[in-house]
Amino acid sequence: MTGVVGAPLKRKEDPRLLRGDGRYLADLKAHGMLAAVVVRSPHPHAWIRSVDASAAREDQRTLAVLTAADLPELPPLPCIDAEETTRPFNQRVLASDKVRYVGEPVAVVVAADRYVAEDLAELVVVDYEPLPAVADAERAMEPGATILHEETNVCDTLEYRIGDPDAAFESAPHVLTERFTTQRYAGMPMETRGAIADWDPRTETITLTSSTQVPNSVKRDICESLKLRESRVRVLVPDVGGAFGVKIQTYPEEILLCLLARRLGRPVKWVEDRWEHIVASTHGREQFHDVEVAYDPDGRVRAIRDRCVTNTGAYLQRLTLVEPFIGVSMLTGPYDITDFQATAHVVMTNKAPMNPFRGVGHVQAAFTMERIIDTIARELGLDPADVRMRNVIAAEDLPRARGLGNVLAGEIVYDSGDYAECLRRALALSRYDEFRAGQEEQRRRGRLVGIGIGAFVEETGLGPYEMGSIRLEPSGQIVVHTGACTSGQGHLTTLAQIAADTLGVDPDDVDVRYGDTDLVRWGVGTYASRTAAIGGTAVRNAAVVVREQALRIASTMLEAAGSDLQLTSGRIGIVGSPAGPSVSLGDVAAAVAPGQSLPEGVDSYGVEATDVFHPETNTFAYGVHVSKVEVDPETGIVTLLEHHVVNDSGTVINPLVLEGQVQGGVAFGIGGALLEEVVYDDDAQPRNPNFMDYLLPGDDNVPDITVEHMAIPTPLNPDGIKGGGEGGAVGAPAAIANAVADAIAPGRVTATPITPARVFAAMADAGLVKPEG
Amino acid sequence: MKPPPFDYAAPERLDEAIGLLAGELDAKVLAGGQSLVPLLSMRLAYPDLLVDLRRIAGLDMISESDGRLAIGAMVRQLHAETSDTVATRCPLVVEALRQVAHPQIRARGTVGGSIAHADPAGELPAVAVALDARARVRGPGGERLVAAADLYTGTFTTSLGDAEIVCAVEFPLADDGAGAACVEVARRQGDYALCGAVAQVSTADGLVADARLALFGVADRPVRAAVAEAELRETPVRAAAAVAATKVADEIPFRDDPQLPAGYRRQVAVVSARRAIAQALEAAA
Amino acid sequence: MSSHTITVTVNGVARSEDVEARLTLADLLRERLDLTATHLGCEHGVCGACTVIVDGDAVRSCTTLAVQADGAQILTLEGVAADGEELHPVQQAFWEKHGMQCGFCTPGIVMSLVELLEREPDLSEGAIREVLGGHLCRCTGYVKIREAAEEAVRLMREAS
Repeated sequence: MTGVVGAPLKRKEDPRLLRGDGRYLADLKAHGMLAAVVVRSPHPHAWIRSVDASAAREDQRTLAVLTAADLPELPPLPCIDAEETTRPFNQRVLASDKVRYVGEPVAVVVAADRYVAEDLAELVVVDYEPLPAVADAERAMEPGATILHEETNVCDTLEYRIGDPDAAFESAPHVLTERFTTQRYAGMPMETRGAIADWDPRTETITLTSSTQVPNSVKRDICESLKLRESRVRVLVPDVGGAFGVKIQTYPEEILLCLLARRLGRPVKWVEDRWEHIVASTHGREQFHDVEVAYDPDGRVRAIRDRCVTNTGAYLQRLTLVEPFIGVSMLTGPYDITDFQATAHVVMTNKAPMNPFRGVGHVQAAFTMERIIDTIARELGLDPADVRMRNVIAAEDLPRARGLGNVLAGEIVYDSGDYAECLRRALALSRYDEFRAGQEEQRRRGRLVGIGIGAFVEETGLGPYEMGSIRLEPSGQIVVHTGACTSGQGHLTTLAQIAADTLGVDPDDVDVRYGDTDLVRWGVGTYASRTAAIGGTAVRNAAVVVREQALRIASTMLEAAGSDLQLTSGRIGIVGSPAGPSVSLGDVAAAVAPGQSLPEGVDSYGVEATDVFHPETNTFAYGVHVSKVEVDPETGIVTLLEHHVVNDSGTVINPLVLEGQVQGGVAFGIGGALLEEVVYDDDAQPRNPNFMDYLLPGDDNVPDITVEHMAIPTPLNPDGIKGGGEGGAVGAPAAIANAVADAIAPGRVTATPITPARVFAAMADAGLVKPEG
Repeated sequence: MKPPPFDYAAPERLDEAIGLLAGELDAKVLAGGQSLVPLLSMRLAYPDLLVDLRRIAGLDMISESDGRLAIGAMVRQLHAETSDTVATRCPLVVEALRQVAHPQIRARGTVGGSIAHADPAGELPAVAVALDARARVRGPGGERLVAAADLYTGTFTTSLGDAEIVCAVEFPLADDGAGAACVEVARRQGDYALCGAVAQVSTADGLVADARLALFGVADRPVRAAVAEAELRETPVRAAAAVAATKVADEIPFRDDPQLPAGYRRQVAVVSARRAIAQALEAAA
Repeated sequence: MSSHTITVTVNGVARSEDVEARLTLADLLRERLDLTATHLGCEHGVCGACTVIVDGDAVRSCTTLAVQADGAQILTLEGVAADGEELHPVQQAFWEKHGMQCGFCTPGIVMSLVELLEREPDLSEGAIREVLGGHLCRCTGYVKIREAAEEAVRLMREAS
């Protein structure tokens, strides 16, 4: 079926979910299943003097209690992007001598159900000796600060230099100095984490069902941690109610459940509640950039120096360095700035650990850079759109190697795109000029309206690889196995579209399967906007091989040369002979099923192929957001009027799905810009671990969002797909921040969340408003 | 987040409920549960016994008598909000209820529950205070009427005895043609407001005839802006909103707020008061 | 800790269950009756994923105790369109308009809209937005949920 890639097909996964037949982790039940509850530290920093679980153990409703003392020797949780210079501040499965954040697991209790398990957890008595806690990263860096691990709280310092920034600064006519701060917030999926572990004595296998994005690496971590061989661990993934990066690593609970299941010989389930989720699942974003920017009178940026500090929390997690790395390495975004120096300090504090979530590092980079552009524009009396146009890398200068290594592999090379065109289209889409023309009049009427641009470039389509397998069944069904691991992105439809496109079938005839490490042994998972680009390419490549196999078999069956054959609508026939003989793909599969001799020229049974696509390097999607806001001069409340996006994710598989991803990302960005923050007080106590006080955007916070797709293909995979899951979250905060700054000019915006109180204070400082009374 | 163990009773008679509350066990009243059940789920409270009022007859009536509208304690907020009687006789209650959380919460939450919960950021307690409502309360000592001005003594604290139950809230009937408004400043619709104001006004010959004004979210209890009210009487309608703002700014002792920059809460409270008066005037006939 | 026998009619089927006082209605549905489409996102009444219809009102099942629902008629997502039946216009609209991604918040939103639109098929946008305001979604950014709700109104108008 031609045209199936690019078609806005309704999703295959929806009817089942709409009828209530979803099966998320908490829904799963098994015979004899037990419930685990984790005992967590109420202190941000304390010695553990003793753990007395005797009252819990003596209670007859308790089936098991594990404390650190009960565990076998276990390696700490891995941090795979650690450099040589990264201090090994890794987390243990259960705290033994010390706790370092509120919510850190200290023990686990198992009972027949969650209600009782929570009662029993209260019986575990931990004798803590509280230590001074540190919440602020700069304080944590000071001499004399309370040390979380050993010697220092600075876990690592990354240094980057391109060109000759010092020379640029010496000769620059203007220098801007500013600190831009992004707050700590979190992915916050609607479904919290959870897992069920089960031990099968017949096969001596642990099966872990987990709400995860990365089943194969969870399997690997369990094997390593518990010293089990590959065939003894199986990881399954049910329906996942959102993940966004919070579920991209192996957490202590997953390992504990495996131990418990093995010990008890019964399935053990743990479902995280929302309080736990907010204090103990990973956070992100907390980072400030102290920048110096050298620029010319026409707004051309000559050089940037950046001292960046990331408040990364108490421990390294799987990919903790990504946030500091991307925060500085992607700071210059789409702009032609080749004299650049950055230092990124990664600092431990007594907050929950950080790990990448949607937009990681790019959000802070874009916010910082885009505020820099607008601030320069304001200083010079220029329009920020013009200043951007002067600074973007020209399309003919791509691909552009940035001269920076990549955190996980290779080098940063902007592969494809046209930033100027994207900006032009975004200005047109948002009717930017019209808004500017009417803005003065609005201000005269006392309406503080503003328009802001958020341009960004982001790493997408990350390797190292992804697996896709395809086989044909005699019924004509096409079965796809993918290493992708969906949590709402519509992969069952989009990957079916790719397979259907190659094999000339209806996507409804393609069954996409995932989430079982026994079926997909080389999968990697879904994160970093990689599934369409990498997972999709693996499916595409496998489909191409399957197509070739099918044609070869068909050529024998039809006694025609391969070059005379065509595959359309699931049937292989002879070109120019529509009423002539043909075979269906099902016929082809049946012809090579075991129990008969193989056709001439065919040397194996079955029609199937597996591809493990290793991209050369990752792609770089990009986009431009434009936000229009109105600020209430009396309260500082920001109302978003409109939001427009021009997004280039390369080739679009399903525009409806991609639009949904962008809009969802924009909502993330709205939350990050205006509402969300995981708040800790000065003593590192979480202040808002519930949904009343952690403000997720609601329907009334999100305006209409128009999305226009630019689709310049990347040369890095055959379909030219770049990836689109995160861009919305990256461009939106920058655009909104600029719009607010524009509305309240000369009031300044240098930090998110842009709360009403901050806006009001900025307006008052700028003399725009006078407080009442 | 599962509640701790507790006992539960749903008596059919009020005196039985009072008896249970007055008894040995640490007992709490369960009305709509929209405030209490989350507290229990978060294990912030460990009562021995919940006394559910839902089977007690006569607590869910809305009736008029003696110049007052009596709304039974177990009247669901949604029911009061959509009642023609309440809209006509006590429009400020309707305006305030529209701002309470979301419809799905209001379908279970009760008027009495809100009044008794004494949330300083709650809309209904502010309405009670503004309108000089009174709570009809029953306890071991019998029935009594508690004026709203005497009801709220601190954050989530009332002057009621442990075993006293709010049976109904009596609101004075609004003057014909009175306009009412509830204005709050919140970062999301339905959130606990940063703060807000409730106002009810009636006018005659271009002048304010009567004004009621109270603020919520500015202190540990609702605050009646009595000085502003007095000043507003006889003020020309055109000037009323500004007068309200000035007086509120002067009279209300805004507490220092560690969570907000100095003066911000005062700013939005004053703005809310001004806007509430303005909107109430617009709604007045 | 007291135990109580309650009777609830869920999706048309009367059930009698012995429950602890502290069992939430959500857990009664999910754990006892195996009706797991009603999801728990926060357990303190904010996210709306647990919304079901009790005696005609859309309510949070996580902040309702099972004992409070004794005698009630309850409709959950599983009862909106039985297996093999046509999807309800609200469900159909969500499918058409891509109003869901991970599907975790969706049951609650569908129930709120079913309740609203069955009660009054001709509704102002304000009424729909108010009901949607009681639901958090982390995936869609709400735009397509609004479009789905409008489409549902249109489909129901067409059908009547």
